[in-house]
Amino acid sequence: MSRLDGRVIIVTGGGQGIGRAFALGFAKEGAKVAIADINGPAAESVAAEIGEAGGEALAVVTDVSSEESTKEMAAAVIERWGRIDGLMNNAAFFQRPQITNGPIEEIPVDEWDRVMAVNLKGPFLCCRAVIGQMKEQKYGKIVNISSGTVFSGRSILHYVASKGGVTAFTRVLAKQSGDWNITVNSIAPGLTASDPDKDEAIYEGRVAARSIPRVEEPEDLVGAGIFLMSSESDFMTGQTMVVDGGAVMH
Amino acid sequence: MAEGAKVVVADINGEGASVAAAEVEAGGGEALAVTVDVSDPGQTEAMVKATIDRFGRIDGLVNNAAIAIRVKHVNAPVEELPIEEWDRVIAVNLRGPFLCCRAVLPHMKNRGYGKIINIASGTFFKGTPFISNYVASKGGVIGLTRTLAREAGKSGITVNCIAPGLTASETEEMPASHYETRVPDRAIKRVEVPEDLVGAAIFFMSKDSDFMTGQSIIIDGGVAIN
Repeated sequence: MSRLDGRVIIVTGGGQGIGRAFALGFAKEGAKVAIADINGPAAESVAAEIGEAGGEALAVVTDVSSEESTKEMAAAVIERWGRIDGLMNNAAFFQRPQITNGPIEEIPVDEWDRVMAVNLKGPFLCCRAVIGQMKEQKYGKIVNISSGTVFSGRSILHYVASKGGVTAFTRVLAKQSGDWNITVNSIAPGLTASDPDKDEAIYEGRVAARSIPRVEEPEDLVGAGIFLMSSESDFMTGQTMVVDGGAVMH
Repeated sequence: MAEGAKVVVADINGEGASVAAAEVEAGGGEALAVTVDVSDPGQTEAMVKATIDRFGRIDGLVNNAAIAIRVKHVNAPVEELPIEEWDRVIAVNLRGPFLCCRAVLPHMKNRGYGKIINIASGTFFKGTPFISNYVASKGGVIGLTRTLAREAGKSGITVNCIAPGLTASETEEMPASHYETRVPDRAIKRVEVPEDLVGAAIFFMSKDSDFMTGQSIIIDGGVAIN
């Protein structure tokens, strides 16, 4: 038997990069996976990839910063499979050059708002949309994607602040949800080579600070994701697992 | 064992080790019992030699042996804690993992792969009073984990910590009420049992955690937070 047999798991931002790796990894362990992504064709493509490999998947076009959209996401998953066992809050606004990496006075205020809307309000809205179903089931697994930058304080002020919020949010929601056997934990990755179009040098630049000196790949995170989505982590909640090759230590 | 590993059960209580090893073998697995005092360098070296003789390799080490809170433990404020109690706990709980790591590392480095798990404690994150020796020993284990992770990462060796809450591991020695005192603080309100920790240990022993090192995860039903 596989570790996620029969579990219904939503992966936001599942259409590419780290989210895609999680979606494929969960499906391989027997989960039914909803790929919730603002990019419909990308979500469809990952769902098709899972289907071709013999798994079950559903693509749902979702804007995690819209309450209505997250409610529709939850409703679509319940309509298809009748339950929600897991939610991975992976969707985030990060890609350069869209995001400003500069001193505070150069970060446009509307960009701060947009980063918070997707990276912090997004997980809030997604959890809000699924938690009723999980409480009814008396079971659920929520995994939020934070960032190693929360611990290193390294660059991109608004992005790091949003991820710090995710870690704090994880802790409070965990304390509030234990009575329903809902665990809430975070994974904090290092800079991961999730965008093949990006300059290799950006990823290579992080290698020297790591205990395990190599570029981080999306696949490096999948094992931790499976662990936190499986029954193996049922007594672990409110915690943040740093998976970054041993750059920061938490 | 249920996941297919060959297991060396190393314990100062030789009889306890033999019983556990026999249980593994009865379940169709392979196990070796070794009597070892982890605070004695000669004995940790002998443990490693016995393992290599039997299985030819060492992939994983769980530094679990410790003088726990419950066992003949003196509860006292720092100024009243007997100095020999401090030394005794540090010798087993901190020097022990150091000696065991020291003994296995040459083999793991030669093979370019290895998985080390140290057992810390939620008490380190909480600063639990009147057991300063125990809490300091477990904080030391987290420090050892971090430094060793940086030293050994290039050799493909990961080093991580699991920090449990108070776990009902000696139910024959302690009344159930002892464990139940911790329940109200937890997000998941029940007594912690040894099986709650097994999934995390399997994760850290498997290739699923090959890019995770130097980290500590608390498994206590959501009391302490890290």
